Amino acid sequence: MQKLGDFKLPHFFNYPPYFTLQPVRDTREKQVQLWKDLILDYCRTQKIFVIGLEEEDFALFSNPVIERSLSHEARAAFLSALVSEGRAEWLDKGHRKCLILWHRVQDWADIIFRFVKDNGLEDSVMTVEEIRSGIESRGTELHGIDRTILMRALRVLEQKGKLAIFKGTSADDEGVKFSMEPF
Amino acid sequence: MRRRPGIGGLQTAAAARDQYRLVGENVAKIRTDMMKEQLATFRSQLEEFARKHKNDIRKNPAFRSQFHEMCAKVGVDPLASNKGFWAELLGIGDFYYELGVQIVEICLATRPHNGGLINLQELCILLRQRKSDREAVSEDDCLRAISKLKVLGSGFEVISVGKKKLVRSVPTELNKDHNEILELAQAQGFVTVEEVERRLSWTSGRAIDALDTLLDEGLAMLDDGHRDGKHRYWFPCISSNSTPVADT
Repeated sequence: MQKLGDFKLPHFFNYPPYFTLQPVRDTREKQVQLWKDLILDYCRTQKIFVIGLEEEDFALFSNPVIERSLSHEARAAFLSALVSEGRAEWLDKGHRKCLILWHRVQDWADIIFRFVKDNGLEDSVMTVEEIRSGIESRGTELHGIDRTILMRALRVLEQKGKLAIFKGTSADDEGVKFSMEPF
Repeated sequence: MRRRPGIGGLQTAAAARDQYRLVGENVAKIRTDMMKEQLATFRSQLEEFARKHKNDIRKNPAFRSQFHEMCAKVGVDPLASNKGFWAELLGIGDFYYELGVQIVEICLATRPHNGGLINLQELCILLRQRKSDREAVSEDDCLRAISKLKVLGSGFEVISVGKKKLVRSVPTELNKDHNEILELAQAQGFVTVEEVERRLSWTSGRAIDALDTLLDEGLAMLDDGHRDGKHRYWFPCISSNSTPVADT
């Protein structure tokens, strides 16, 4: 089986017609489904949060072994399908950059909640940056999380009264005060 | 009997024909009786054989196939009924029943990819992956199981395209034009419009029509990504996609 680094590629990735947006509706639906799953899977394992449509460095968009590449239209179609499903969001009006939610925002909120509990941080204060790159985050899914997504998840928890977000001393230095009851 | 002219002659001829017929029927009856007796003997010997070699029949596909042929020669169908002597003796009614169920499952599972047409070889490979290694499955077994499925009216059929056999699990009827395209596609797993026109001596319209229908039925997929710019029509039922396919 072909691999991209450590990632095992599914069989359809080596079948040329899957790189052409299919004209027949039923066939296209199945194609889109396969690609959606592949994109989410790949992004999750590689910790990719943003996909640029025009960029050449998102490996899934082409397969040099069979000499096929997804057209711009195809890439847009698959990503739009993810957006419709709530698993992605366009970051710009021109639909050139796409934020990938291989965990939904609510799932990230749950992960942060568990993270706080696991590390006994129920009463602490942390900077946003520390949450995503501090020592405690190492080895967890939070490590290296996209800042935009992190802020969204934090706001979800803020809505529920689990924490408070505040601005720090410098312009983009935000912090969080957790107020979750310990067990 | 000497032929006599006139009505009398005709009556004699008719009577003679009747006599011949009676004799003929008698002879036929004697022959039939003898045959029936022979068959009965053969059948009981076959049953004895089946009893003795029950395990071999279950475990060995080649042996099983030859056993079936023997049975067919004497007009015995071990699969005719799930109950009854043969099924109980060999339990192979169950074997084919289970096989049939698995075949249906595999066809349904692969339908999104191949449009309801699957290569018999590929089907067998997938079947072997599912089954425990206790009982091997041959193409012959598959064909028998599928013929049983047909009797149930499940819409399953085996069609021959060139040298290959394809198992069809959807009501889509393939006409001769479609068949010819599938046969052409066996070489590389795909065809181009130009190739169809050239090799089959068709008009462009006829080629495109047939290919479009195959696309619509989900049996073909379009590929426009080759650097030569020519559209290719791939047939998942022809190419097994467990090996990477590349053409330059």
